Amino acid sequence: MQAENIGGKILSLMEENPGITAKEIADKLSMPVNKVENALESMSDTRQKVLIVDDEMDALLSLKVVLEAEGYNVAEAKDGHEAIDKVHSEKPDVILLDLMIPGIDGFEVCNQLKSDDMYRHIPIIMLTARGEIDDKVEGIELGADDYVTKPFNLKELKARVKMVLRRQDI
Amino acid sequence: MWNRKSKWNLIIFAVVVLLLISSIFFLWMRTNIEVRSVVEEQYQNQQLLLTRHVAGGIQQTLNERVSLLEVIAKKDSGVPDDNFESDLKSVYEIARLFYVVEYVAENGTIVSGYPEESVPLGFNLYENDQSRAFEYVKTNNEVYITDPLKLMEGNYGAFIWIPVYEGDEFRGAFIAIIKESDLKDRYVVESNSSSYAYLIDDRGRILYEGDHNYKRGALYVDIFGSNASGLQEIVADQVNGSEGNGKYLLLENGTIYEERLVSYSPIEWYNQKWSLALTSPSSEVDRLIVSVYLKLFIVAMVSVLFIIFVSSFLVIILYNWSKSLEKEVGEKTQELKESNESLRAANKKLKELDRLKTEFLSIVSHELKTPLTAMRTSSEFLRESDECSIPVRRQMLDIIIRNIDRQSRMVDDLLDISRIESNRMKFHKESLDIEETVNTSLEMLSAVIKEKSMNILVEIPDDLPQVYTDRDKLVQVFVNLLNNAAKFSKKNGNIRITAQDDSDLVRISVSDDGIGMSPEELEKIFDKFYQIDSTSTRKVGGSGLGLSIVKGIIEGQGGSIVATSEQGKGSTFIFTLTKA
Repeated sequence: MQAENIGGKILSLMEENPGITAKEIADKLSMPVNKVENALESMSDTRQKVLIVDDEMDALLSLKVVLEAEGYNVAEAKDGHEAIDKVHSEKPDVILLDLMIPGIDGFEVCNQLKSDDMYRHIPIIMLTARGEIDDKVEGIELGADDYVTKPFNLKELKARVKMVLRRQDI
Repeated sequence: MWNRKSKWNLIIFAVVVLLLISSIFFLWMRTNIEVRSVVEEQYQNQQLLLTRHVAGGIQQTLNERVSLLEVIAKKDSGVPDDNFESDLKSVYEIARLFYVVEYVAENGTIVSGYPEESVPLGFNLYENDQSRAFEYVKTNNEVYITDPLKLMEGNYGAFIWIPVYEGDEFRGAFIAIIKESDLKDRYVVESNSSSYAYLIDDRGRILYEGDHNYKRGALYVDIFGSNASGLQEIVADQVNGSEGNGKYLLLENGTIYEERLVSYSPIEWYNQKWSLALTSPSSEVDRLIVSVYLKLFIVAMVSVLFIIFVSSFLVIILYNWSKSLEKEVGEKTQELKESNESLRAANKKLKELDRLKTEFLSIVSHELKTPLTAMRTSSEFLRESDECSIPVRRQMLDIIIRNIDRQSRMVDDLLDISRIESNRMKFHKESLDIEETVNTSLEMLSAVIKEKSMNILVEIPDDLPQVYTDRDKLVQVFVNLLNNAAKFSKKNGNIRITAQDDSDLVRISVSDDGIGMSPEELEKIFDKFYQIDSTSTRKVGGSGLGLSIVKGIIEGQGGSIVATSEQGKGSTFIFTLTKA
C-alpha cells in the first residue's frame, strides 16, 4: 500500500514539475533518495512481474536468476503471509506458488487470492515437490491456473509462464 | 451381592429347608399323638383294672357278709332257743360291717338282734306297715336288699332281708343294715389325685359321688346336665351292668373344658346291681407323658437346628463357590478386556507407525527433490545461457554445490537413522575431553552462529573427568543440538552449554532462550518418524531427523536424553555420558 501511495505522490509531483529530479522529490516527500529512485525504477519498469513464493532459498534464487534473465521483473516471498502482502504491494502479473510454505500454505494463499475480486485475475502456477494427483485436483479446484511438479524442466516452466500470461492478455 | 438367579436359588433352598423342618414337626406331632393314644389306652386299662379290683373287693365283701347270715338261715335245726342271738352276735363280730343284725319271727315281730341297744325288740312289721320286704322274702325265699333308706337314727343304710327256713317251713327273716357311712369309711381314701370315683345303681341314681353335692336319689347324668357330651352313653352302659372304658367331654359355654376318662365295673350284690366308676381328666395322661413330649420336642429341635446348621453351611459353601466363580469369570473377562485393549493399542500404534512411515517417506522425497530442483534449475540455466556474467555463473554454481552438500547430508542422516533403527550403529569409543569436543562443534557451526549473532556461554568445570565415547558421534550430537538451538532462536539469542559430574556419569545440558515448544510437540520430538510441523521445520531448514539421531547416539551408548521446554522461553536438552 505504501509503495502505491509513494508512486501516486511521485507521479503527481512529476506532473506539476516535469523537470524535477529524484533528489528534489525525496526532499519534498522527506524520504531517502534511494527509495525514491527504486520507486521510480519500478514505475518505469515495463517488464511483466513474476512473484515467486518458496521457502527454499536456493530454489527461489535459481528461479529468480533464470526468470530475470528471461526478462521478467521478479518479486519474491518466503511464506504465505509475505506472499499475500507482496501481491497487494507489487501486483504481480503471475504468481509461482510453492505448495509447502510456512505460515499459511500454498492452498490457502491460492484460496484467499482467488476469492478476492481485486486479485482473482492474477494467474497462479503451483509448484510442488509432491506429485500426487490429489494435490493437482485440489490445486485446480482452488483456481490455480497451472501446476508444475518439482524438479521441473526449465523450458516447460518458462513455456507455462508465457502461456498463462498470454491467456491473461487475451 | 446375590444376583436375581441366585436369589431364586436361595428362595428354593429356604423352601426346602422349611419343608424339612415342618416335616420334622409334623412327625413330632404325629408321634405325640400316637404316644398319647397308647399311653391313654394303657392308662385307661390300668384304671379299669383298678376299678375292677375295687368293685370286686366291694362285691366280695358285701356278698360274704350276706353269706354269713345265709349260712345261719339255712340251718335245719330250727330256731334256737335264744332266737339266733348268739349266732347273730358272732356274725356281727366276724362281719365287722353291719350296723345291726336282727331276727324277725314269722309273725313279723323283731325278737332278737345285736348289738342290743340298736335293736327295737318287739317291733312288729305288720303293725307298723313295714312288712312289704318281709312278705317278699317269705314268698320268694330269697335274699332281698333295699336301696339305702333313712334309718331311724337319721342316716342312711341298706336293709338286707334274708329268709329263714327250717326245711320248707318259713321261720322268719334276718335283717341286717349296712350304713352307707361305714361302707364309705371302708373304701373311700382321701388322696390328692385328680381322679375320683362314683357309684350308681341300675337306674343311674347316685349312690356315692366323691366331688359334687347332690340330692339323694339324683341321677348321675343330671349333675352335669347338658355340659357333658358322651356321658349318657357311658351311664347307659353302666346301667346295663357292663364293664369297660369310656370318655366324655366337659363343656363350658359351648367350648371343651376338659376331657374325662371313665372306667367302670359292675358290682352285683343279690338284687342290687351297682356300677363303680373311676374318673380322671385326660390331662392326667398328658401329665404322665409330658416328659416324653419334652424329650421328643428336644429331639425335634435338635434336628431342626442340625438342618439349619447344615443348610446354612451349604449356603455359605455355595455362596463362596459362586462368588469365587464370579470372581474368576470377572478376572478372565478383565484379562480379555486388557488383552483386547492392548491389542487395540498395538493396532493403533502400528497404524500410527504406518502413517508416520508414509509421511516420513513423503517428507524424505520432498527433502530429496527440493535440492534437486535448485540444482536442475541452476544447471539448466548454465547450459542454456552461454554468455551470462561471471558473478551469475558463480552464484549458480554455488547453488549447485550447496545443494549437493545438502543432499549428501540428508543421505547421511537417513543412513544414520537406518543404522539406529536396526541397531547397527557402531561406536569407536575413546576417552575424550568434553570442552575440546564442544569447541570443535562450535567451530563447525561458526557460520550459523555468526549469522544469528548468538552468544555462546560454555560452563564446564576444569576438573571435569573425561568421558568415554565416540568422538565423531559426540560432535554430531553437539552440532545437532547447537544447530537446533541456533535455528529456533532469534538473533542475539543466548546458548548455554554446561557439564557436571554426577556419580559415574557426566551430565551435559544445552539450553537456549529461543521460541521453545508446546508440551504436545515436546512429547514427540525424539520420535523416529516424527517431525513437528513439516512447514515450521523447513522454515528453519533441516531434515527433521537430527533429534532422532541424537537420541539414537546417546541411548546407543547407554546414556539418556531428556528435553524440557516452555513456549517463548526456550528449550533445554540434558543428556548423560559415561565417565572414562
